[in-house]
Amino acid sequence: MFPEPEAVKRPSHAGPTAITSAIDTGCDACDHCGLPAPRRLANNRTFCCNGCRGAYQLIHQWGLEDYYALRDRTAGGVMSGEAVAVAGTPQRFAELDDPNLLSDSAPREVGGGMVRSRLAVSGVHCGACSWLIERSASMVPGWQAARVSMHDHSVEVTYDPEQTKLSKIAEVLGRMGYGLSPWVVGEAAARFADENRQQLMRIALAGFCAMNAMWIAIAIYAGEHSGISDDHAALLRWVGVALGAVAVLFPGRPFLRGAWASLRTRTTHMDLPIAIGLSVGAVSGVISLIVGHTDVYFDSVAVLVFLLLVGRWIQFRQQHRAADAVALLMRVTPRTATRITNDEAMVRVLADQLVVGDRVHVAAGEGVAADGVVVTGRSSIDRSLLTGESQSITVGPGDAIQAGVLNHQSPLEIRVTAGGDQSRAARLMRLVEEASLKKTPIVQLADAIAGRFVIVILTLAAITLALWWSSGPLQAAGHTTALLIVACPCALALATPLAIAVTLGRAAQRGLLIRGGDCLERLARPGMIWFDKTGTLTEGKPRWLLGEIADDDLALAAALERDSRHPISLALVDQAVRRGLSSRIARHQVRDVIETVGGGIRGTVDGRSVAVGNLAYIRGLGGEATDDVIRQVAEIADQAITPIVVKIDDTVVSIVGMGDRIRDDAVATTRRLRSMGWGIGILSGDHPRVVSITGGLLNISPHLTHGGLDPESKFALIERSKAEGSVTVMVGDGVNDAAALAAADVGIAVRGGAEASLQAAPIFLASGALQGLVDLIDASQQTVRVIRRNFRISLAYNAIAVTLAMTGWISPLLAAVLMPISSLSVLALTLGSRTFRLVPRPAASDAASSDIDFSDLVSDPGPTQWVPQ
Amino acid sequence: MSVIFVALPVALLLGAAAAIACIGCIRAGQFDDLETPPLRMLIDESPAPDVNSPSQSDRDPKDPM
Repeated sequence: MFPEPEAVKRPSHAGPTAITSAIDTGCDACDHCGLPAPRRLANNRTFCCNGCRGAYQLIHQWGLEDYYALRDRTAGGVMSGEAVAVAGTPQRFAELDDPNLLSDSAPREVGGGMVRSRLAVSGVHCGACSWLIERSASMVPGWQAARVSMHDHSVEVTYDPEQTKLSKIAEVLGRMGYGLSPWVVGEAAARFADENRQQLMRIALAGFCAMNAMWIAIAIYAGEHSGISDDHAALLRWVGVALGAVAVLFPGRPFLRGAWASLRTRTTHMDLPIAIGLSVGAVSGVISLIVGHTDVYFDSVAVLVFLLLVGRWIQFRQQHRAADAVALLMRVTPRTATRITNDEAMVRVLADQLVVGDRVHVAAGEGVAADGVVVTGRSSIDRSLLTGESQSITVGPGDAIQAGVLNHQSPLEIRVTAGGDQSRAARLMRLVEEASLKKTPIVQLADAIAGRFVIVILTLAAITLALWWSSGPLQAAGHTTALLIVACPCALALATPLAIAVTLGRAAQRGLLIRGGDCLERLARPGMIWFDKTGTLTEGKPRWLLGEIADDDLALAAALERDSRHPISLALVDQAVRRGLSSRIARHQVRDVIETVGGGIRGTVDGRSVAVGNLAYIRGLGGEATDDVIRQVAEIADQAITPIVVKIDDTVVSIVGMGDRIRDDAVATTRRLRSMGWGIGILSGDHPRVVSITGGLLNISPHLTHGGLDPESKFALIERSKAEGSVTVMVGDGVNDAAALAAADVGIAVRGGAEASLQAAPIFLASGALQGLVDLIDASQQTVRVIRRNFRISLAYNAIAVTLAMTGWISPLLAAVLMPISSLSVLALTLGSRTFRLVPRPAASDAASSDIDFSDLVSDPGPTQWVPQ
Repeated sequence: MSVIFVALPVALLLGAAAAIACIGCIRAGQFDDLETPPLRMLIDESPAPDVNSPSQSDRDPKDPM
């Protein structure tokens, strides 16, 4: 199944984008994570950081190279860079050994001297990750087993406390890029698990009743045909009616309860006509059994309950995933922190226990647990959780710092200004949670027509009773009962969930992962689409946009920057590679490179002094800038493009503009969406001038382009847009969009955002192409069409059955045949629908080289596939 | 007395036993995670490598580090 080790000698572990970006920038891809890496080592390995090197070493040492092959073939082989950043010191994991800090993860005895603990695990993306973690267990003495659960990103570890500790296990997994943290059972998650089990148990019981009722019914009908002794027929009927009654009373109770609730609140719900059919079927069955009447509909009733429950469960699972999302999001901020006590001792405490004024020590590589102000220390921090900006910024004493921020470089001491659930991250999470709760539940077309349906059926039943009254009350009651049972809208209730489930499955095969079916209904009619700018409409990284430079000079500058990881450097090297200068870049001798954060870079290339940076930096190196240079810089800055000055041997040789380029498909997609009737706007955290220039290029009207927004104001704008009445769609990718994505009627995350933001949005475009948006809207219209067709068909069946009942032609046998056929024809027509048929499946390039086609793994729209890039 | 009076309850009891077993499994949480098991089954079992075996360290001679 896996290639020989030779075949993975230099595996391209990266996902398609990572590879592309590595090639673009003229760098190699890291052998472990696939991110661009500076240079190839002599032994033909490339790593972007020591973390990756350590992980790669460990995996090979254990002989688990198959991981790379497996990963490249599952889930499109996309791997995230974040997975490597969990470098940690042993002290960092020590909290896992303190039962007081473990909360719900506290190990419990399982016998044989073993204990078991359930922990949250981050960085798990696909089957390969769970394989690696589970296989790691056998490599560590005392660690008996690991069981990864991908739907909620947890791992259950069984280990011998005598031989190993949780911190040791966490350290091992941390070296491979998986972070372990105490597991917190969210209330929502616990409720879901409970409800899921309840529903499954109902399905099991209903299935038992339905299947047995069916074979008993067959025996009765066969007996009526060929003769059966009365006591046998009576036995079969008694057992059958008992099964039908059990099916209605126990697994069918949610329908009865739903109908009762809808009666009490005077709202219409699909449960109402269903409950009428079910209860009439069960009651009439019992009555006719007692009075010795032969027409009993118990098998129809039991099968109905079973089919309806299955449909409900499918729908429930699809809709639920939002609750998981918030739980995952909550894990982004660390659960524990190191408090500095008055006598300068360091104590590990739960983040919830921090109060305003506490001093907290944040080690390098650790997350910040509370909002605060830096007291001592200077470090670069990653604020991507809050701002979506992946570039680190430098902080020093006096600077504000927020919970959820990652401290990269050196230890910091901060004074807490807002702890626990008052921190900005926690407030943001609450916004997400509230937004996903507030979302109006799917207003099904079925529910909307259910009320009218009930009235029509009851009127028809009254008419039937009146018409047949002359033939005797018993016969009139019999026909009326038959009508009420056959009018039970099973196919009608299945129409929506089925059509949506089919669309979700097909969308997933095309890289569009949809969590909630209600999105499809909302996308079918045009409304307003808001785009995030950076990384959504634009490429999200600087590119060479303008400026002239001679090849020789460019080669010198690129040689200077070849080992720098700064985005501007990458863009410059990229431009040099495009001009075919790669061999020259490598040939130049570079010495004395000094990089200044927020300024530029200088050094000696082939004996000539070269400097690249912003104007202030170049001026600071000595030598006056001419007026001409200052004017050019100002001109470039006016166009919202970053001016970069290249200076060689005391002469400014060129001023180039570096900017974020609009994605190739953005223009075509926005034009297409506009022609479909959608309004388009931009919500961006970027500088308003940059945003308005981007908006201008895409023909977006200026009053719909908003720049300089923080997450909260994005959220507010989405709320305002929703209040205006049209369907509001948000397309974004950063965690800073999480609240807006969750608040919008439909949130669509495009590849490039952090994992958490994908969890907040109900739709994820794994393909990354904005074209997917158009396909998605097409498919939504298709789906709604299929749902409507399903309605028409099931209503037609109902009309036929009701007519038969009113004219007295229906019999239990006819009902038993007619009702499943209506459900089955809805099923067949839904599966045969053309939704997404016109959109080709992506070529399985990653699977092409393997002997097994893993593409069917992508058919499950679970969070497993939500691999962030 | 016909055999059906015995066979029918027995058949129902067998079915009920299966249903109860299924419900027991659901209660125990076996059906909570429907995403990982289908992936797990695609993964070949390899003979558990022996950590203490001396051949372990030079398993990949090309490994540089």
